[in-house]
Amino acid sequence: MSKPQTEPRQTAIKQPYNLSARIQWLRDFYFQGVNRPWNNEYTSWTTGTPWDFQYQEASFHIVPETFSFLQTFRSSFKQNAYPVELHKDFWKWSIAERKAWFLHEVMVKHLPKEILPGDLLAGARFNVMLSACLTQKEAKEYAKAIFDKGGARQALLWFHNHGYGNSGATSGHLIPGYARVLKEGWKGIYQELEEYYRKLPAVQKRGAEGAQLKAMLTAATVARDLAAEYAKVCKEMVAQEQDKKRKTELEQMAANLERVPWEPATTFWEAMQSLWLTHMLVMSDESYPGPGVSFGRLDQYLYPYWQRSMQDGVEREFCKEVMKCFWVHANTAYDGMIRTGGNQGITAGYGQLFTISGMGADGKDMTNDLTYAILEVIDEMSPILEPKPNVRLHRNSPEKLLDVVVDMIAGSQGAPFLLNFDERSMAGMMLEAKRAGVKDLINAGNVYDYAPVGCLENTMAGNDRSGTVDANLNLLKAVELTMTGGYDLNPYVDGMTGKTEKSQCWGVDTGDVTRFKTWEEFWNAYARQTGSIIRRIVDLYELTEANRSKFSPTPYLSCLVRGCAEKGKDITQGGAQLNFVTIEAVTYATTVDSLLAVKYLVFDEKVCSMAELLQALKDNWVGHEVLQARAINKAPKYGRDDDEADRMAKAVMDVWTEETWKYKTRSTGRQFRPGMLSWNYWVADSNLLAASPDGRAKGKFLSNALCPSNGADNKGPTANVNSVGKVLGGKAKNGKGDWEEYLNCLPNGGSHTMTFNPSLVRDAEHRAKFKGFLRGYSENGGSALQINMIDADTLRDAQCHPENYKHLLVRVTGYNAYFTSIGKELQDEIIARESHHF
Amino acid sequence: METQRLTANYLHLQRLSTEDGPGIRTTVFLKGCPLHCAWCHNPESIGKKSHIQWLSHLCIGCKTCVLSCPGGCISMENGKLRIDYKICALCGKCAEACPANALEILGKEINSQDLSEELLKDQAFFAKSGGGVTLSGGEPALQADFCTALMKLLKEQGVHTALDTCGLVPQINLEMILPYTDLVMYDLKLMDAGQHQQFTGASNERILQNLRWLVAKVRDGSLPLTLWIRTPLIPNATAKKENLQAIAVFLNETTVDLVERWELCAFNNLCRDKYMRLGMNWNYQNQALMSRAELDECLEWTKQVYRKPQTVSVTGAARVEE
Repeated sequence: MSKPQTEPRQTAIKQPYNLSARIQWLRDFYFQGVNRPWNNEYTSWTTGTPWDFQYQEASFHIVPETFSFLQTFRSSFKQNAYPVELHKDFWKWSIAERKAWFLHEVMVKHLPKEILPGDLLAGARFNVMLSACLTQKEAKEYAKAIFDKGGARQALLWFHNHGYGNSGATSGHLIPGYARVLKEGWKGIYQELEEYYRKLPAVQKRGAEGAQLKAMLTAATVARDLAAEYAKVCKEMVAQEQDKKRKTELEQMAANLERVPWEPATTFWEAMQSLWLTHMLVMSDESYPGPGVSFGRLDQYLYPYWQRSMQDGVEREFCKEVMKCFWVHANTAYDGMIRTGGNQGITAGYGQLFTISGMGADGKDMTNDLTYAILEVIDEMSPILEPKPNVRLHRNSPEKLLDVVVDMIAGSQGAPFLLNFDERSMAGMMLEAKRAGVKDLINAGNVYDYAPVGCLENTMAGNDRSGTVDANLNLLKAVELTMTGGYDLNPYVDGMTGKTEKSQCWGVDTGDVTRFKTWEEFWNAYARQTGSIIRRIVDLYELTEANRSKFSPTPYLSCLVRGCAEKGKDITQGGAQLNFVTIEAVTYATTVDSLLAVKYLVFDEKVCSMAELLQALKDNWVGHEVLQARAINKAPKYGRDDDEADRMAKAVMDVWTEETWKYKTRSTGRQFRPGMLSWNYWVADSNLLAASPDGRAKGKFLSNALCPSNGADNKGPTANVNSVGKVLGGKAKNGKGDWEEYLNCLPNGGSHTMTFNPSLVRDAEHRAKFKGFLRGYSENGGSALQINMIDADTLRDAQCHPENYKHLLVRVTGYNAYFTSIGKELQDEIIARESHHF
Repeated sequence: METQRLTANYLHLQRLSTEDGPGIRTTVFLKGCPLHCAWCHNPESIGKKSHIQWLSHLCIGCKTCVLSCPGGCISMENGKLRIDYKICALCGKCAEACPANALEILGKEINSQDLSEELLKDQAFFAKSGGGVTLSGGEPALQADFCTALMKLLKEQGVHTALDTCGLVPQINLEMILPYTDLVMYDLKLMDAGQHQQFTGASNERILQNLRWLVAKVRDGSLPLTLWIRTPLIPNATAKKENLQAIAVFLNETTVDLVERWELCAFNNLCRDKYMRLGMNWNYQNQALMSRAELDECLEWTKQVYRKPQTVSVTGAARVEE
């Protein structure tokens, strides 16, 4: 029987615990935000030329909230930039060499080096805005391509304002080869670069490849030289330190820094130090604070060092303490723009994602003692945003792990981590290997080493940039274009000038919809319009991709990605071994439900004519309430485990994913691949997209990623899960899927968020049932799941008394946010979302 | 009861049900009950016949139903819908036409084959959680042919089956169903026959007799099934010391060794709306949920007497105490 709403309210918001005085201080200090005497706010650096700039705005072309400020950001970073005295040959070098030198110069010589009180890891300031290092001629060409009339910015704004979505070549969103740095040290990377350079024929040495390798050789020394500076600071502090214990710690920190990250790590502490410095410099190199620069399988590649330290008799709690310092460091990424935004710049998950547990070779489970130690750190530090945890589950995940996972879900208003499901995820990776012809790089022998980046986007580690957030497309636009034969349903009105744009056929001309005699005609027109919007986003992406490949190399990051040294090509030029750009489809369920509604209302049940439906959409359903009610309540919906509706959903999936596979970037040869992640676009773009045939009025929220439309999943969570699994491909009838019997047409994976009532995990028996639910999800569901475990009463109380809920995290699309820091609209939406009662 | 009927009159399915047996289950609510318990949580399930109800909170007042009714038995005045139940033939045309789903037919026909296919969609969740399908109601065993056919289909697919019964059915019905049943959840509400009559409309004689028969069958191995006992905790009715202890004594004397668990199900008042929609009075209209202390006390009373006290538990919700 269903549980009454009178179940005791779960208002006990998760609090951190078991923190030492050191960590408690660091954590409290961090949350002081702008009141801190120290922070990691951006510093901006310039070559001193009048045409110089720092802000690489294309990285933010996927963040509509910033569009109005692009010029402001660009100007203020420019105005506040410190000049750096340049090397005499600076302007003779290639852009990559200039950038590598500039990075080295700023990080090693200019940026202050500080150790926070009690901290066990060095590496505090890393948020920088580095000079673009361009000549006047280059800067001019850059400006023409991006800011000037007819450039990428204008194209983007057109695309966004017309409800198509957004796109831009974005930084981060990959897993650098951190495991390699721990194992070989930067020394190993440096030696290999030298070797590649030495082997280059003379002509190439003087050409682009040689210049790239020289740039990477310079970049490969940044971490070493910065570590040496920090070692000096530690030694100075030793001299002044009175406390004996702290003195010893600082001595050891200096010793660590004298070895790593240049040398291979030997202890757990060294490994964490090496990892942190190497990681933070990626953010400096890209001048981009964190988003999606992910760690991969942390509990796997750190495990040898963990074991070694355990064998050496280092206390387990001390190693956890080192990790907790690491946690605090990762959060200072938010300091970048600490004085803007709510909650002191600390808003939503940046996504320095790591994953733990998961499958190894031959289906073996890879959970180890470090996995559990990391889970303890998460639980003890939580709530905190970074680094963002992900736990990989699969058929052979041990009961003990599931117990810990479900206990944490029960105690933290939902999962403090995303859950990845290996079988479905690996099927997607195997599909991408097949489609892109890279089976030598992704195959049954290594696919289990995949890992998610950012929120939940699956990639390989250390050799893969898949542009996982670079192209975000509203599939629903194709339905609108079908209804109008290629025009905007509501002509675009410029918010500044109030001018209405002249109506024009933007899509393909699929004809007068009111003359369609059959559903097939409508469907074929929809498929053509889908092709047209995908073509459009591919073209838009090309603008910033081509520009980045020419002017914005990241030679430091290139050292950490396999393929770049071998090819003598920067990662921005497609140097990585695995090069994809992901189109993330947004508004999926709204699109499916709209198609189902057209079919139901006009063709199957003949409730109305196409002309009537078209008029209703033009009128935003006003005056057509009865028809709107039919569209909402009578037409079938995706998410109910209704095979017929889900067949339509699968057909929509097939059309857009097949179109996506047709394209590669022209400038860099990167293959487009499909995924579903909607970040917050499903909320933000709801005012841009016209009313839709599913009964949604303009302004009402769109559907989120792979999730059914809000409230549509009225058959309960298992039906919701089954629908999601089915549209990804389900399982192959003959048992021969892409990974064992599993299929997954979205190699990137799809975001699936579910909200449950806390009563579902109220006692041991129910927690055991929830474990069963997760194991069932593994069989029938998607690639990634985000769980909220919270009742509407608690959220309403948090809206009224935000002061009592400062640390209440809610999770949408693997996008974690403090509930009290998000806008009222989204708060209301989260409350209204039908939470799954039992 | 019609014989050889493979279709049933059912109310709805609840998927991911976590309160009706072990693991994750889908509960099938069938229509019709021989008891009329004063506290009944599912009043819509009591009558054998289907029924149509108006959900005023969903109604958009478009009067589509009025026009769609071939018998002309629906009228609307001042935003209030009236259905003349004397003329209504339950054709369902109004519910079908209603754009807002504000008219609902309670009790639809479904055949065992279709239903089993629907249920099997959650087989992965059943298998991974040790769950399955529970037939509840109403009194499912009144539709014994259907239950038997359905459970047979489910058993063929390896699905765990449970029957949630009040026990007041001809023994022959149980004889048909139970060979395909893995778990019986058997209600014992009141031990005093007079009170049973008073609160449920029937004596408990047949119920106890069927339980004795069932226990004998389990004991001799001819029905290898698991047995749970369920007792609703109703203030001033079942939730009394003498009643709970009398049930405990009865169980001690007859079946305690075979009972895997005994659940005391806390009174809940979520069904208030249902009574209002059905136009029925409910004596428990203003009855608050029991407090945690009251529930604990009930548990304590049973534990004092019951021979396997560790297997008794309270399920459901307590009153929120601010």
